[in-house]
Amino acid sequence: MQNIDKHKDSDQLLDEILSKPPEFVLPFDFAARIAAKAAGKFYWRQYMMEFLVYIGTFTGLVAVILAMNYFWFTDNWHSWKQFFSDNLSIVIGINVIGLFILFADRVLLQYFCYRFSRKKHVSGKLW
Amino acid sequence: MTDGELVQQVLNGNEHAFRFLVANHQRLVLHVVGRIVKQQEDVEDVCQEVFMKVFRKIKNFRGDSKLSTWIATIAYNTGISYVRSKNRKNEKESDDLTNFYSRSDNWQGHHTVEREEAKKILGELIEELPVNYRTVLTLFHLEEFSYKEIEEITGMPEGTVKSYLSRARNLLKEKLDKIIASEKINIFLNYAEY
Repeated sequence: MQNIDKHKDSDQLLDEILSKPPEFVLPFDFAARIAAKAAGKFYWRQYMMEFLVYIGTFTGLVAVILAMNYFWFTDNWHSWKQFFSDNLSIVIGINVIGLFILFADRVLLQYFCYRFSRKKHVSGKLW
Repeated sequence: MTDGELVQQVLNGNEHAFRFLVANHQRLVLHVVGRIVKQQEDVEDVCQEVFMKVFRKIKNFRGDSKLSTWIATIAYNTGISYVRSKNRKNEKESDDLTNFYSRSDNWQGHHTVEREEAKKILGELIEELPVNYRTVLTLFHLEEFSYKEIEEITGMPEGTVKSYLSRARNLLKEKLDKIIASEKINIFLNYAEY
């Protein structure tokens, strides 16, 4: 009888141990920190998408203009081609600067504004 | 709020919804990751990685399973990948029961083994089990997932899950019986109090 009881008790003890959660815990602000990090990533992705939409639209417009020139204004096309090949570095430089300005305006500035407003919001809450 | 509504809110960029999701599932993730990753100092980082993966992949959640099962799957896979990458760098964790069997029975020689001490010893023994056994035990006993859900989370067939569970339980029971048989035991002395 005692053996049967012990057997039952050891099962009970085993169940108790197996359903006992591990001792370590996550910090109390874990969820808030993760959510803030995820929100940062979400906004960054949104701004990047916006930037890519701008780039896509601009590239599309340029492609249409170039195609029109190529098919309908053949004389103009040759002179433009000559101009681009003569001033390749300037054209590339202007494009890179344009891209950077657009990136800074559409992505970096917006993202920093978001971060700044968030910091202000958090510090406002604290005080 | 249903799982689908919560997921939709997260997809819309609602930070509070994601915070709610994390708060609701952090215990589950902590238990799954905590059982797989033994180094406590790394557990928080892995948990963080799990939730960032959840956030990245949430658009792929189609509601075929419960959100908790889907999150547990990510937690399991992330934990396993972490352990594998760690093992590649350091010593390999044995996938068999060598560690478990070779562990010295350090309770022997004690005159009495108190109930709390036996629980501590068994807790340590669980840590010595191979990672698959530990995970299956945690998912079944601690998180109360069904065999089907455990199959979904771990990718192991249901039969394997059942076999791991019964084998792990038997092994632990065997050790516990050894503790009981070893010396003058007090384990069940005050059991009525609990």
